[in-house]
Amino acid sequence: MRKANLFPWLLLSPTLLVLGMFVIYPAIYSVCLSLQHVDPFTQRSFFAGFENYTELFTSSEYWESVSTSFFFMLYTVIPSIVFSLLIALALDTNPFIRGFFRTLFMMPVAVSTAMAAMLWVFLYNPTAGYLNYLLAVIGIDGPNWLSDPHWALVAVAIATIWKELGFNIIFFLAGLAGVPNELREAATLDGANAWQRFRHVVLPILSPTLFFVGVVSVIHSFESFGQIHILTKGGPAGSTSVLVYSLYRDAFENFRTGYASAQAVVLFGILLLFTVVQFRVAKKRVHYG
Amino acid sequence: MARVELSRITKNFGSLEVIRGVDLSIASGEFLVLVGPSGCGKSTLLRIVAGLETQTSGHVSIEGNVVNALSPKERGIAMVFQNYALYPLMTVFKNMAFSLKLSGVPKDERERRVLETAKILRIEELLNKKPGQLSGGQKQRVAMGRAMVRKPKVFLFDEPLSNLDAQLRVKMRTEISLLHRTTGATIIYVTHDQVEAMTLADRIAIVNKGKIEQVGEPLEVYRHPQTQFVASFIGTPSMNFLPSSFASQLVLPSGAQTIGFRPEHVCWSESGGRVKVGSGKVHLVEPLGSNAHVHVSLGEHAVVTEQEMSVAPPTDSAVDLWIDPSKLFFFDREGASLSGRANV
Repeated sequence: MRKANLFPWLLLSPTLLVLGMFVIYPAIYSVCLSLQHVDPFTQRSFFAGFENYTELFTSSEYWESVSTSFFFMLYTVIPSIVFSLLIALALDTNPFIRGFFRTLFMMPVAVSTAMAAMLWVFLYNPTAGYLNYLLAVIGIDGPNWLSDPHWALVAVAIATIWKELGFNIIFFLAGLAGVPNELREAATLDGANAWQRFRHVVLPILSPTLFFVGVVSVIHSFESFGQIHILTKGGPAGSTSVLVYSLYRDAFENFRTGYASAQAVVLFGILLLFTVVQFRVAKKRVHYG
Repeated sequence: MARVELSRITKNFGSLEVIRGVDLSIASGEFLVLVGPSGCGKSTLLRIVAGLETQTSGHVSIEGNVVNALSPKERGIAMVFQNYALYPLMTVFKNMAFSLKLSGVPKDERERRVLETAKILRIEELLNKKPGQLSGGQKQRVAMGRAMVRKPKVFLFDEPLSNLDAQLRVKMRTEISLLHRTTGATIIYVTHDQVEAMTLADRIAIVNKGKIEQVGEPLEVYRHPQTQFVASFIGTPSMNFLPSSFASQLVLPSGAQTIGFRPEHVCWSESGGRVKVGSGKVHLVEPLGSNAHVHVSLGEHAVVTEQEMSVAPPTDSAVDLWIDPSKLFFFDREGASLSGRANV
């Protein structure tokens, strides 16, 4: 009897060990650190209560980061979902080209973030980059993408969308594969046009996929770091300094470990809040057959 | 009610010819069953009538108007699918009212028509349920209701009873028959089950390899099959076929290569002008209640007979097979039925 009770734990132990070491312990340690001041030179720590949090919430720079992160989420999540859904719908109706384009759109996902970001550094180059060259061909004087505070966040968002698009397309294609063709045909016979078939038949069945992609995309957008680090380093003038980048700078450039940990805890809270809100909305809008 | 005409319909999928020049006329208010083995093209033919598939050549007309260029919606037809195709996230009411809503029918009128149809099909208590909460038979009724509520000119049924168990299938067959009698609608019904075809149809069209082999009233087709394929497909168990040498004591119609006889026409003894077609050994008896199917080996050939249970011989017994010559069918080398009788 005792053996039978221990056996499941034995099977779970490798997972629990890895989760404990790399997720649970660091998370708890971050919460502890956020309540301390850590001396960057001696690494000695002093209990600081909520001082780090007080400083955080009274810092205008931090609120700018919150705002930047929010806009970055808007710029990436909504277009990414819309484009990937449209592309998936187009590919779903064309089985002959589906395989080729699915691979094509997945390639950026397989490329490392650093490589992808370097590629965009070349594309965005104001003098030698292809993007401004192509814009010039159609008579548009392209901006200085990565150096102009008005365009830098948009530029990083475009690179992020390009990188994430294939990931979403795969999920939407899988979701669309689950919509029986007879339902579309029945709707056609009922007199539904393409939009009505999508709105009343396909979209409700696709809603769990849409919800999943939405939650994951929001989390991904708040966690974006690599491309920002390579493309803009949070600049110009902090215009691309999202929460994670601000956290990185405080932790690894300014060596303010306690303050950075407080940012990590607040970021976790923000993501939790977004996810809870999404789940609440999902209760009304998402249909699981 | 509407007349449906199919004229010289062909359909190719790439190099594969699925429908090969079909001509068919379905009278207004007629119940026509397209029956044939799986993959013979009967569902494709139905989908061409619905407008869900475009024919390679030929034309479809409804009420005398060619509808080749019309969308499925504009053809005024309703279709019941094999797996019901009910919208899984809509209630039964919404499923039935969907087409009316899209056509801009006012809400009151929608409600009236859905309730009226639900009453006919006895599904009023299901209106607030979703398809996932219904049994197979209930889903089938809802699918029929969704088709009926539109008051279409033509009903199309694509193997609607295939997913039901045997008992429910018999019950639903009666319901469909009643629906036809109540509405008087033109119905084109696809099935591979010849019992369904025989019991439901005003006329049946037997489809084989993309062509219609024979069209006629069920009993006419059963009694006078024009080809060996039709003879083998219509009737359960199917007709027995033996080389014409088994009827050597008879003078056969010229060109007869194969003789055919129904299982129920085989007797065990000589009487009233019967002729002996062979002697064999019973290798299997399948009791069905009042009747039994008796499988007899005639050397390398096998024959199935249908007998009353009380006269079915035991397994391994030796039997003689006797048959009334007027019950024999004759087929030539190409499988075409030969008219004329055998003479003793």
